[in-house]
Amino acid sequence: MHVLRSVAASAAARMNLSVDAIDDLRLSVDEACAELLKAVPSGSVLELSILRTGIDVEVVVSVDGDPGAWPPNGHERTLAWQVLSGLSDEVTFERSSSGPALRIRMHAVLEELGH
Amino acid sequence: MSPHHDSSDAELFARLPDPAAREELLMRNKPLADYLSRRFAGRGEHAEDLAQVASMALLKSIDRFDPERGVQFSTFATVTIVGELKRHLRDRGWAVRVPRRLQELGLRVGKVVPELAQELGRAPTVPEIAKRTAMSEDDVLDAMEASQAYATDSLDAPVSEDDDRVPGDALGTEDTRLELMDGWASVAPALERLPAREKRILYLRFFEDRTQTEISEEIGISQMHVSRLLAQTLAFLREHVGGEIELP
Repeated sequence: MHVLRSVAASAAARMNLSVDAIDDLRLSVDEACAELLKAVPSGSVLELSILRTGIDVEVVVSVDGDPGAWPPNGHERTLAWQVLSGLSDEVTFERSSSGPALRIRMHAVLEELGH
Repeated sequence: MSPHHDSSDAELFARLPDPAAREELLMRNKPLADYLSRRFAGRGEHAEDLAQVASMALLKSIDRFDPERGVQFSTFATVTIVGELKRHLRDRGWAVRVPRRLQELGLRVGKVVPELAQELGRAPTVPEIAKRTAMSEDDVLDAMEASQAYATDSLDAPVSEDDDRVPGDALGTEDTRLELMDGWASVAPALERLPAREKRILYLRFFEDRTQTEISEEIGISQMHVSRLLAQTLAFLREHVGGEIELP
């Protein structure tokens, strides 16, 4: 988890995100990992991908295993969902080939002041 | 060391705005500050940092002591110094594991971030910070990361043992609105246990949707400190959710 967090932060820095956005991303990855491992306690492999799509940065975190219901029932009332949606612009529950995944989309636009 | 006579302490306090009296009181009570700081050593924090914190706290207690209240100065000073040492260790819980070099890099980054934010009118990027501090981008990232390293148990102990409000943190009742939001309601008891400042940061970030930089300006602490407190608070809340949330 620490590794994923660092990797995400490092990639985000290369994509020229602001420190605020990088920290939000770091917190999101923490939260997503915790949520996935709660859904699949037996999960052994966490995967992270991060890509730039136009003005957005998208991070997908996934774990291997069967979560049963995914998204979990009443997920919109969980703290994890609140935190994730508070930190990012969009959160989506997905399924990858190996198990549940969370896709986190963040705007990566700096509001540059002219100079 | 000169022997301790409360009578002459009283005389010194009576003379107090006088710098010589202040100095004398400081000298006399320095052994107490050193003793207390040693009791907190061995937790990874540098001994000289702790001694420094204890000395500052001693000065503070000399300036604030009111002999009229019938409390021994040593009692008053001990409470103040121990309080400051605890606060220091808590605020710098990260220092426990963070190597000196990273701490120093962290301080440099922490200093430059608000400057750049001011100049740019937005939160800076890592390349911008690297350029300004003449550090590599990797070092900037490491410093940011290190500043987020924290002891997750640090929130479990302290709450309400002392008043944690920071200056300017006029605690509004608005913070309680957090509990009314879906999701947050599930951790209401844990939210109750948060120090006022941490709760306020949560409120500003998640209810008012303010950025960390904005929050740092409002509360008067660094962006990195906001970042660390947020990470710490969210981890604390996660541990106290259990996950299943049923709203009434």
